[in-house]
Amino acid sequence: MKILIPLLFLVLIAFLGCSKLEEDPKATLTPGSYFKTQQDLDAAVAAIYQGLVIDGAYAFDFHLYSFFGSDDLTADPNLSKGDQRSFDELNGSSGNGSIAHSQWGTPWAAIYQSNNVIQNYNKVTGDQVTINGSAGQAYFIRGWSYYMLVRTFGPVPVITTQVPADYRPARDSVSTVYATIISDLQTAISLLPTSFPGAPGKATQNAARSLLADVYLNMATWPLNQTGSYALAAAEADSVIQSGQYTLVPDYATVFTTNNNSESIFGLEFNVPGGNPDRFFGDCSMPWEEYGLDGNFGWEEFYPEINFYKAAPVCKRTDEEFYTTLKLIQPDKSFLLVPYNSPKTRNQHPFYRKFRTGVLNNGPIGCEETDSILFQMNPSTNMTNDVMRYPEVLLDYAEASDMAGSGPTAAGYAAINTVRARAGEQPLTPGLSQIAFRDSVVYERTYEFAAEWGIRWFDIVRLQLLPQVVAARSPLENPISLGGNDIQTRYYCPIPINEMLKNPQWTQNPGY
Amino acid sequence: MKKLPLLVLLVFGLSIYGFAQNRLIKGKVTDDQGKALAGASVNIKNTTTSTTTDSAGNFQLPLTAHGKPVLVVTFVGYISTEYAIGGGSFFSVQLKNNTQSLNDVIVVGYGTQKKKDVTGAISIVNSDVIEQRPIVRVEQALQGTAPGVAVQSVSGNPGAPLSVRVRGTNSITGSNEPLYVIDGYVGGSIQTISPSDVESLEILKDASAAAIYGSRGSNGVVLITTKSGHEGSPKIGVDAWIQKAEVAKELDLMDAYDFANTVNIQNAVTGIPPAFTATQLDGFKTNKGTDWQKALQVKPLVQNYEVSVSGGSRNTKYFFSFDYLNQPGLIVNQYYKRATLRANLDFKINDKLDLKFYVVTAIPTSRNTNTDLHTTYGGDTGDPFAVATDWDPTTPVRDPVTGQYNLTSPYGADNVNPVAQASSQLVDVNSLDAIGTGVLTYRILPNLTFTSSNSYESQYGWIRQLFGLNTSTTVINGITNGMISASSIWNTNLQSSNFLTYNLNFGEHAINLTGLYEYQSQINQNFAAQSTNLSTYALGYYNLGVGLTQAVNSGYSASELQSFMGRINYSYKEKYLLTASIRDDGSSRLTKKYSTFPSVAVGWLISKEKFMANSKVFSSLKLRGSYGETGNQGVPPYSSIPVINTSNVGYYFDGTSLAISTPLGPPVSTDLVWETTLQANVGVDAAFLNNRLSISIDAYNKKISNLLFSYQTPAYLGGGSYQRNIGSLQNRGIELGISGSPIAPNPGGFNWNTFFEISFNDNKVLNLNGLDNIIISGIGQPQANISILKVGKSLGEFTGYKFLGTWKTSEATEAAKYGSKPGDAKFLDVDNNGTINENDYVPIGNGIPKSTWGFINDFNYKNFTLSIMFTGQEGSQIYSQTIAYTWGQAPGVRNATNSDATKMWTPQNETDIPAFSTTGSPNGGFPTNTSRFVYDADFIKLKNLSLTYSIPQSVLGRAKIRSVDVYVSGQNLFTITKYPGYDPELTNAQTAQTQGVEMGVIPNPRTYTFGLRVGF
Repeated sequence: MKILIPLLFLVLIAFLGCSKLEEDPKATLTPGSYFKTQQDLDAAVAAIYQGLVIDGAYAFDFHLYSFFGSDDLTADPNLSKGDQRSFDELNGSSGNGSIAHSQWGTPWAAIYQSNNVIQNYNKVTGDQVTINGSAGQAYFIRGWSYYMLVRTFGPVPVITTQVPADYRPARDSVSTVYATIISDLQTAISLLPTSFPGAPGKATQNAARSLLADVYLNMATWPLNQTGSYALAAAEADSVIQSGQYTLVPDYATVFTTNNNSESIFGLEFNVPGGNPDRFFGDCSMPWEEYGLDGNFGWEEFYPEINFYKAAPVCKRTDEEFYTTLKLIQPDKSFLLVPYNSPKTRNQHPFYRKFRTGVLNNGPIGCEETDSILFQMNPSTNMTNDVMRYPEVLLDYAEASDMAGSGPTAAGYAAINTVRARAGEQPLTPGLSQIAFRDSVVYERTYEFAAEWGIRWFDIVRLQLLPQVVAARSPLENPISLGGNDIQTRYYCPIPINEMLKNPQWTQNPGY
Repeated sequence: MKKLPLLVLLVFGLSIYGFAQNRLIKGKVTDDQGKALAGASVNIKNTTTSTTTDSAGNFQLPLTAHGKPVLVVTFVGYISTEYAIGGGSFFSVQLKNNTQSLNDVIVVGYGTQKKKDVTGAISIVNSDVIEQRPIVRVEQALQGTAPGVAVQSVSGNPGAPLSVRVRGTNSITGSNEPLYVIDGYVGGSIQTISPSDVESLEILKDASAAAIYGSRGSNGVVLITTKSGHEGSPKIGVDAWIQKAEVAKELDLMDAYDFANTVNIQNAVTGIPPAFTATQLDGFKTNKGTDWQKALQVKPLVQNYEVSVSGGSRNTKYFFSFDYLNQPGLIVNQYYKRATLRANLDFKINDKLDLKFYVVTAIPTSRNTNTDLHTTYGGDTGDPFAVATDWDPTTPVRDPVTGQYNLTSPYGADNVNPVAQASSQLVDVNSLDAIGTGVLTYRILPNLTFTSSNSYESQYGWIRQLFGLNTSTTVINGITNGMISASSIWNTNLQSSNFLTYNLNFGEHAINLTGLYEYQSQINQNFAAQSTNLSTYALGYYNLGVGLTQAVNSGYSASELQSFMGRINYSYKEKYLLTASIRDDGSSRLTKKYSTFPSVAVGWLISKEKFMANSKVFSSLKLRGSYGETGNQGVPPYSSIPVINTSNVGYYFDGTSLAISTPLGPPVSTDLVWETTLQANVGVDAAFLNNRLSISIDAYNKKISNLLFSYQTPAYLGGGSYQRNIGSLQNRGIELGISGSPIAPNPGGFNWNTFFEISFNDNKVLNLNGLDNIIISGIGQPQANISILKVGKSLGEFTGYKFLGTWKTSEATEAAKYGSKPGDAKFLDVDNNGTINENDYVPIGNGIPKSTWGFINDFNYKNFTLSIMFTGQEGSQIYSQTIAYTWGQAPGVRNATNSDATKMWTPQNETDIPAFSTTGSPNGGFPTNTSRFVYDADFIKLKNLSLTYSIPQSVLGRAKIRSVDVYVSGQNLFTITKYPGYDPELTNAQTAQTQGVEMGVIPNPRTYTFGLRVGF
């Protein structure tokens, strides 16, 4: 017995001591066991998209905040809207948490997930066309994400492979970033099919061409000013037009109440019960003082500047785009109708009408109303948020074809007039000069795409319009507060402070 | 025949002797201060004759034994004493308190040691201290009672854990809680212990004491020893108390009239018509509106009942207890209930073999509270307790006509009515935690012992939630028809500790050797299901099938730890002491599996030296010094393996059908190691005036390197977080404990015992491997950006704009440079460049106290005992987002509720409270991360005041009752502090970085207790 016990002790050590202390994460996928089948690849591609539609990403209006210096967007002077209001006052800051999450964080997350697919899709065995279709989407989203970043923040590092945790790159020049975008979109065009039946949310070949056209148009203007790109833009846009894949929805208002309609080129898909609600439509853009019979009220995240509305063309589209008579609920549950500029409203500003309803006959409605009754409202809908609509291709073509040569072409006139016709406007005056035609196209874009994806803001940036936009501002708007900085510095958004701290090798954009 | 006379004499003599022994002996047992000890066990050595003392300490025994009978008196917490009976018939027995004796044996981990031989820094808290207060969690017993241990009641949620810091904050993102070792079971969950089952708590503070726990010892170790039975007839103890609790202090908020008036002023500033008419305002003068704080709060009755039975024979001893706690919260629809069942059994099988079993089952049940298993009301802008401070007072709780809740209001916070939310949501947590420990001790040789201690814990948790009607889930977020969920957690933990202990004494040398092999494995599994878009609420959360959208997921993680430890205790002439240990820990969580943790300590009992032998001053004097290394295993399993995430959330390429999404997780470190702490300690233990006064002082210096940090990647690496070693920090401190009797012990008369402890700690971040100024996006929804990790500063550092009051009319020109005007908030422009932005952040406070202390005084006169306990802290600040939000310009709150809003700046009265404004910089003049909302968190609290009356034996009379104590007490009766918020002790920090940041945390209650302790 005396000897037995120490022996037993040794046996215990020998028995238990054989543990190799190795980890086996039974419930966790690891890269080693992944990228074998098309299913693995599909799920990795879905992850790219899924990151785009979370609330802090592109599912609310956070993705517009740095664009508030534009005239199609402003914010309440008093409510807790500091993150967007500061940019409206041209006084945005690197401490802005919404920018860090949405406009900076979201495209980078998409690039990170895209790199995962691009680096690994060759490991998958299966139908090569299907595999290429998956990879093509990763190239498309990566190109689009860099395009959003480079226009918003200027120089950013180009990362196209998987890099280790301690990798700290320098900021690459704007032209390097554009080169990557062109390369990605051209690869996407070569890999993507013309359509994904039953999956309208997937980027297609013509989506990549449409985006590429827009990229070339931007390269032709500030900051690269590579005017040779106008012709490339016109050619890409023309190929999309010639494909006949897209037609305008006859009625402008219907564009914003139907999903994946005939003019939708690429959009983000939502599903409320599945945990991916679109919160951009409904409550988001409705006035704070509007209450429905159900007791819900507007969130007043954004609305247009007064003079922006006043300068809109008089046409059916303007009526469908803007909301100018507010419905104020009374104690007897009737509604008092007041014009936007009445002292009875909080801010004497018009609102957007086109984002109120959301998709019809498909889940919750953003706002159910008649001209005099506001029945109920809702912050979450299944509305597809269109990133690119066909009118953008038409107007990109009109401008690019005009600027590429020596003036407007018949095809250019046809393109803009298609858009004007649907808007309820007369055809554009014939025989305009090159610049007058370009300005007419830009004016058309302004009201066709107001408050959509910064299209107006990026026009202001690439055409350097900020001084005249500021000059046109009503004194009723929030005061501009440049704090001694050159207005030229406002074309770029500051890089978020936390990101600067993690990358001490970077220099902040001037003026911030 | 020669032998006959002798034989006769012998028989006769024996019979006389025997006759002489057939008598009754009586006596009284007291402690060393003359206080009667009821329930002490008295027996005649080597016989079955035994009894226990009555409540006056008296006993009587028939004496029939032959030989030279010896009386043995034993009592829990006291040193057993033997008396030769001889011819005496009355014995006045005085027992010496165990805790005051240096010969006392204390638990030191994998064995025991005589207190006089201890070289490490160890604090001890005994059951008599624990019993002085009605406490519901064991951590509370450490508050103010142990030098070097800073305990904060950081939340008043029922069942919520406390924050315990042994010698400062050691880890940035890892746990800073000490390692709990419950009857040898390492890493036991403290909520399984009923405080009244605790015999003693030993806190191992320095590296020498804690290094035997190696990779888990960095935050200090608390050894918990539960009660065991003692030889004697069964003793029954009943301990019952009831307690009325309430919120001690309300925030000063506006009534409906002031609020409505303020809304109109705010509207006027922004050019909006008044919200309230003159008639409405007049109405509010008489009808003050809703006091949301009062509407949400309740004054609950807390109840605790404990019954225990203990006793045993020489070879078998038992201790059984059952405890039931029912603790409703301070706001509606909130509770924590817990039943604990314990059985501790000791068997002495033979001279060589002992077996011990500890079996405990804890069954907590809670609703809408923050417990070890699940967090609800962790402190956020949306928590009802926070919403109640910024909701519109002009709206009644319910519509007077329909009786339905008024759910939202156009004024004040845009959250749901806090009473509706709190009353309607359900987060119900049930759990069952069972731990069994078996200890085998075999004495192979008289000086060689083998011990095998084996524990198994199974913790099962069952969590159900309902967020339906009247909650923000449906009202604000619009998730169609609410959400119900059910989830379960199953954690199992297996431990086997096996060690040999060898004692060797030769000449004046005494050596004790310990060799350990230990293996521990842990498996955590979980399953969760959620339903939204419900077709009906009729089934509550009981059937998830009624949800049109359902989501499930499950998880698994496992880890193993394998360790070897060796220790030597050496003493020469009982004066010169040495302890050295080394532990090798292997973990499955790291790339490099094994790490080694050595330590050494020396002690010198100066009072044993000849030159001190006749000292009139010192009763004892000991110097101690130690140096060693410990670790913090804050690395979760699978931290060094890159993962692909799986979740229910996917993408809907056609808007309706789900495509599963598996995003790639963040990159991982390839060289992850544990945090390691190097600690040096010097200490003095001194006792004076015949042990009437004892003082213990320790000074330490800890350096923690390889700090683990959940590092958020730059966005281009996916924006996720991964575990990374990033630097080092330092804790230096001094701790002091003094106990004594200010007046000479006076048996039967007036006695006064006093205890004071104070701990000073200085924390400093030494380096972050090139990183610096890491701003932590903060707590809760609002992302306050208030906390910063900064080299050269302590953890818990606040950063932000320095608030300088308001711009005055005379400063209009200067103000205009900042886009501000008189009345706007004025902030320090550090770089003096005319704009206020992130470059103007300055240090504006720190949430970690520089010192904490406790002061306990017990006054005893006859049958009355008065106990007074103060606790306090000094040198920290609190950032109150709760208060910031009462100013109504932060996200989600539209109007001010703070009473000081009536004293805002006006041209006539230029106060330093900024007026409502549409201008101002930064952030429209209302950033929340400013010194405006940082307050001094120093406080002195009357933690406990209790008066106990022990009913004298003369009253108890013939009733077979050993003792009855009746007591009344109050906790947190008053707090002296400059902090205008609820309670300066609160924080909702998830990690050390955000310590001192407070948002909507339910405060510690003020309580009034009535209790009864009966012994049979």
